[in-house]
Amino acid sequence: MVARRVDPDVLATIVGGRGVPVVAITGSNGKTTTARFTAALLRGEGVAVAHNSSGSNLVQGVTTLAVGFADLRGGLPYGALVAEVDEGALLVVADELRPRALVIVDLFRDQLDRFGELHALGEALDTVASGLPADRALVVNADDPLVASLAAGRAGRRVTFGFDVGVSLDRITRAADTIRCPRCRHALAYRTVHLSHMGDWACDACGFARPDLDVAVTAVEVTGLDETRCTIRLPDESTIDLAIPQAGIHVAYDAAAAVATVIALDMPVTHAAEALAGIRPAFGRIETIALPDGRSVVLAFSKNPTSFNTTFRALASEGEPRHLLVAASNTLVDGEDFAWLWDVDVESVAPRIEDAVISGTRADELATRLKYAGVDPARMTVVEDRPAALDAALANVPPGDRLTVVAGYTPTIEIREEMHRRGWTGRFWEQ
Amino acid sequence: MTSPSLDPGAPAVARPDPAPTPAADLPPIRIAHLWPSLLNVAGDGGNVTAVEARSRWRGIVTETVGYEAGDPVPDLTAFDIVFVQGGQDVEMALVAADLPRVAGTLRAAADAGVVMLPVCAGLQLMGHAYVPSAGEALEGAHVLDLETHGGSQRFMQHAAVEVTIDGETETVVGFENHSGVTELGPGAVPFGRIVAGAGNNGLDGSEGARRDNVFATYLHGPVLPKNPWLADVLVRIALSRKVGQRVVLAPLDDALERRAHDVALAKAMRNRGRRTAITPARLHRRAS
Repeated sequence: MVARRVDPDVLATIVGGRGVPVVAITGSNGKTTTARFTAALLRGEGVAVAHNSSGSNLVQGVTTLAVGFADLRGGLPYGALVAEVDEGALLVVADELRPRALVIVDLFRDQLDRFGELHALGEALDTVASGLPADRALVVNADDPLVASLAAGRAGRRVTFGFDVGVSLDRITRAADTIRCPRCRHALAYRTVHLSHMGDWACDACGFARPDLDVAVTAVEVTGLDETRCTIRLPDESTIDLAIPQAGIHVAYDAAAAVATVIALDMPVTHAAEALAGIRPAFGRIETIALPDGRSVVLAFSKNPTSFNTTFRALASEGEPRHLLVAASNTLVDGEDFAWLWDVDVESVAPRIEDAVISGTRADELATRLKYAGVDPARMTVVEDRPAALDAALANVPPGDRLTVVAGYTPTIEIREEMHRRGWTGRFWEQ
Repeated sequence: MTSPSLDPGAPAVARPDPAPTPAADLPPIRIAHLWPSLLNVAGDGGNVTAVEARSRWRGIVTETVGYEAGDPVPDLTAFDIVFVQGGQDVEMALVAADLPRVAGTLRAAADAGVVMLPVCAGLQLMGHAYVPSAGEALEGAHVLDLETHGGSQRFMQHAAVEVTIDGETETVVGFENHSGVTELGPGAVPFGRIVAGAGNNGLDGSEGARRDNVFATYLHGPVLPKNPWLADVLVRIALSRKVGQRVVLAPLDDALERRAHDVALAKAMRNRGRRTAITPARLHRRAS
């Protein structure tokens, strides 16, 4: 942040006017993974990419990205800069970044005590997206009605992505947000629902409907905790088959977003399959860590109702969670109000949970939530301290078996750092 | 609040540990959950979950019916507990548009002593009107003698409220997140007195509103899971009214709930004296 204090326009100075295309990726869930996929696709096509791979996506992190990758004269020796930007921070840095492509992956309610109401966030993003010059591309998730409605009057390139798979992969639950028409507020009709409120939607009252898809996922299959296979249709009707070593339906959305972004930059995606075949999950995104004793830990960062539900769905493909460590803490980035835990569908996973260690400074809230979802308190242990909780949870895991860790941002970092201290994994920023 | 309590058998002096009413003697609790898909933020669905779960653990049957905008309007006097929860501004306006259809039966149910727990936007909608800082006023259901105006300040913090119901006084905790400024008329009394937090308006120390068995609050959390006393009071009043004599609920192990209560209380007390905690400043563009 020193750089911004010395020169408040440092971002604009470094990035602006040097011809380096900037991609700004924002939204509620999937920013980090989409940015990693986008960077991998571009590198696959031979482009040198600067990327905030540590997931530092606030104003400071984005500035650090540009400063850190700039050479001594303040120029960028890279062919493209991929910036994951917090949906709140985007409003501050959008003008300075002058992105060639602005990517909005989805909008879910996330920490009402940080972002305020979802509609207010939508209006703010609408202002930013509408102000994007006509020679820049807006990349939007057409399956998310609120995202699809942004910058309606803007002249300029727009690339849409979504699912064209014919059958529903999810149902509307109480975590869903935009299930009414963003234009006229009438209840939306869904032909298919794929993830929370995302799907093939239409408004019977005003006729607003999901835009045509430029980039479409036409098939998706989660084949385990370490692989999702999908087929993506490109604007020229050709298709690419991807096997991505990460679990979840949402991974296919992130892949489609990344492909659409590269297309928006007028770059090819010829090497997409190889580029994404070797990509490791971003830190804590259903990341499997092997322990020296033959057991394993699956680390699943979750931060809002939709990300929790998405994580649980992906884990369910392998019958998890059975041995669970779950943690939540109130911090500046994790928020103060955890009422949203009651919007998570914990009920559907409760019968699978054999034992649960509950940790973090808001262990109290989590434990109560689990109890009311049907987890017997006799199966629960509250251990606020994170390293001690890791030990307590691992004590429940038989030889060769797996521990599932579902945790908020700060406790995920703490637990991962503890596993690094024990020599089980590298630091996430070294990946 | 002039009407008598509808907890008919309330003793003048608390007796020590009266025998619980056998669950087999208790009828099912009929629950109405109003506009569940519109008024659905901030986890308030957990209040319904809490009443259902605590009843189930005691062997008491519950039946929950959801009412969505446009559905055939149910006769709410035939229910025992009615939930109206928090929602965001856009959804609140949609409920207000549907409200004239439901307001009559809501008032009849309140008059008949049906237990109601309106929370946040639910509280505002049960009043006479919600008058935003900009835009048109929303007419309420006139269940509660109160009116709310949009304020310039957002109250967003842990809060603690001293609540007295049927001679029992407890501290109820939760998280307030609203910018409405609510004033009560003479036909309502506060749900409780603010110990920490802003309450109805940040000025007069009042929190929420009550008349008959309508208990309205701004507190999210959700409020019932971490205030098991309040959850049980609502269930007890509803069942006592239904069977016509004072019901005694079997005790439950509330160790986890009490811990959640105490953590929230400690957080609220650290905020004591502050009118507001956090503003979503990052949503405002940098002035340049």
